[in-house]
Amino acid sequence: MYQYDAIDQQLVDERVAQFRDQTRRYLNKELSEQEFLPLRLQNGLYVQRYAPMLRIAIPYGMLSSTQLRKLADISCRYDRSYGHFSTRQNLQLNWPKLEDVPDILAELAQVEMHAVQTSGNCIRNTTTDQYAGVIADEIVDPRPYCELIRQWSTFHPEFAFLPRKFKIAVNATESADRAATQVHDIGLHIKKNDAGEIGFKIIVGGGLGRTPMVGVTICEFMPRKDLLTYLDAIIRVYNQQGRRDNKYKARIKILVKALGIEEFRNRVDAEWAHLKGKESTVPMSEFDRLTSFFSEPAYAALENKPEILSSKLADSAGFARWYERNTFEHKKPGYRIVTLTLKKAGQAPGDATSDQMQKAADLSDKFSFGELRVSHEQNLVLADVRQEQLVELWEAAKEAGFATPTLGLLTDMICCPGGDFCSLANAKSIPIAEQIQETFNDLDYLFDLGNIDLNISGCMNACGHHHVGNIGILGVDKKGEEFYQISIGGASGHDASIGKILGPSFAQEEISTVIQKLMNVYVENRSEDERFIDTYRRVGITPFKEAAYAKAN
Amino acid sequence: MPKLIKNGGIIDNAFIWQQDPEQKVTPNSIIAAQKWLSEKDTIGCVAGIWLDAGDGIEFLQDVDLTQFDVIGVNFPAFTDGRGFSYARLLRERLNYQGEIRALGHFIPDQLGYLLRVGFNSFQFNEEVDLEKALALHKPFSIAYQGDVSDPRPIFLRR
Repeated sequence: MYQYDAIDQQLVDERVAQFRDQTRRYLNKELSEQEFLPLRLQNGLYVQRYAPMLRIAIPYGMLSSTQLRKLADISCRYDRSYGHFSTRQNLQLNWPKLEDVPDILAELAQVEMHAVQTSGNCIRNTTTDQYAGVIADEIVDPRPYCELIRQWSTFHPEFAFLPRKFKIAVNATESADRAATQVHDIGLHIKKNDAGEIGFKIIVGGGLGRTPMVGVTICEFMPRKDLLTYLDAIIRVYNQQGRRDNKYKARIKILVKALGIEEFRNRVDAEWAHLKGKESTVPMSEFDRLTSFFSEPAYAALENKPEILSSKLADSAGFARWYERNTFEHKKPGYRIVTLTLKKAGQAPGDATSDQMQKAADLSDKFSFGELRVSHEQNLVLADVRQEQLVELWEAAKEAGFATPTLGLLTDMICCPGGDFCSLANAKSIPIAEQIQETFNDLDYLFDLGNIDLNISGCMNACGHHHVGNIGILGVDKKGEEFYQISIGGASGHDASIGKILGPSFAQEEISTVIQKLMNVYVENRSEDERFIDTYRRVGITPFKEAAYAKAN
Repeated sequence: MPKLIKNGGIIDNAFIWQQDPEQKVTPNSIIAAQKWLSEKDTIGCVAGIWLDAGDGIEFLQDVDLTQFDVIGVNFPAFTDGRGFSYARLLRERLNYQGEIRALGHFIPDQLGYLLRVGFNSFQFNEEVDLEKALALHKPFSIAYQGDVSDPRPIFLRR
């Protein structure tokens, strides 16, 4: 895991001091509301429906147990004893007091954490695959590259006031894209060329929100040494030419779409010609330095499927189910990647109590070298668990509410905080998640349905990524009443696509019935082992639409 | 005489930022760059020119910038980040060595960023307390990226 040196620490400490002064001046009315707004946003502080919301950065989703304990402690002492893990691998606190935020930040700085650029019109926290470094088919570990981007983007003097927010995600495997890179402002795919050199396929102009788009490739292979100069060029073009007259048309996707990728690429290349090969070209020594922070932990030489695991798999259907769904193959024999799900019925997806955070930290110490990751799907991951300890971990995870064996299934939903917390939302999203969890509580049935991404957003801003859910649910407001629009056919992996809206929106109480009807169409039409998304792609929207809107008689 | 912050101190402002194109041009004037370019043969000597957001710097490529004491950059809103690049490009690409002055709607809390991209003078709105603004001059003692004062990113300096 990356560890701060004196420079990193000093910057974060100075940021705390700066924000403490800004908060003081705001409370003294020396800074206007309007002036304080972007300053606090660049420090992750929103003013929400009931209280400020503080979004704490978890760079590329990596957490040490010490850091998670600190988050538990902070959420307990400054908030209501829980936090919300977001799709961008951050942690959001929903009830901090504005006056307390400088103290919270100072405490975070003690464990090498901060809230820098987690909001505002600047380059946000870079995200990546939660299985980075431990999966077999990875080209290289993307985390050193994420850290490089973190540093380059932190307090970038030229790009702190972009037309709109700017999100970058990195992926390094051919078999999966767990970071939804194609729906980011910039998606980076780490590649190795025929000469064995590492570089990036660069995708630009993806995004969700009001105008969802899958990004387009601007460059097939950019050598890694040129990454930062090329990113500078892309963002400089965007900063200069992106629209500033209308915030809904200000994202880079609109610029790329308006110019066409050819013209956009030409402009970036023209800019890059001035930057290529200059000081920001990254030397090999820096890649080596960053890579050294992500070296392998002290793995033991182990055999796959030890006796204790095999016998438990044979004896316990519950364990076998959890093993099959919530654990994932590790590159090292005798190890397994384990997801601690935050999707227990009755708890908002992605929420963790302070107590759960403490427990997850304890589990990581005991079973996974004291490290955790936060996933795009709002779960926690223990990346390096000995297979011989899986049974023990399962028991402990069950006790803490982390073992709902539904990873990747219909009820492993992505869900934004919605109208219960967020002042932007048009509708609540958490009660919809609850309704679906209650309805689809038969594990055998869920297993039979297989992998389905269901994403819920409380408004057009699409924090719940509804556009790229195989099933997407969007809260809409109709004359003061909350309704829900359903789309199907979205996907966020290498096969990214934007879902199609089924038709008129539904009342809140109808949602789980409609989802049930969609599942029936799927089950009737699927060929063996065909995923929901593939059936949809084969048979089209019509049968789903007909079923969803069919009258009871 | 109105004051401004320049090179880390508070000094008298010797120049007049002319926003109104009808206003009479004097040798103390900072006039709109586009106006200067189209009327430079008749306009006479000026202290400098100012760029508006959206102007870019490309049209100054073939202009001898040493004739100006100052180049201003207008921020229509402090959230409009285009001017940050203008200063940087004036320094790095057009090699302009003179004064680059921030004009318009920027705020003291942006000083750290503005300095790093090459601004060295700041003409604030009247209501800004310059002493207090000066205290915000340098919020960070180090930086990850290269900038106008030192183009080396952190990995060349660690």
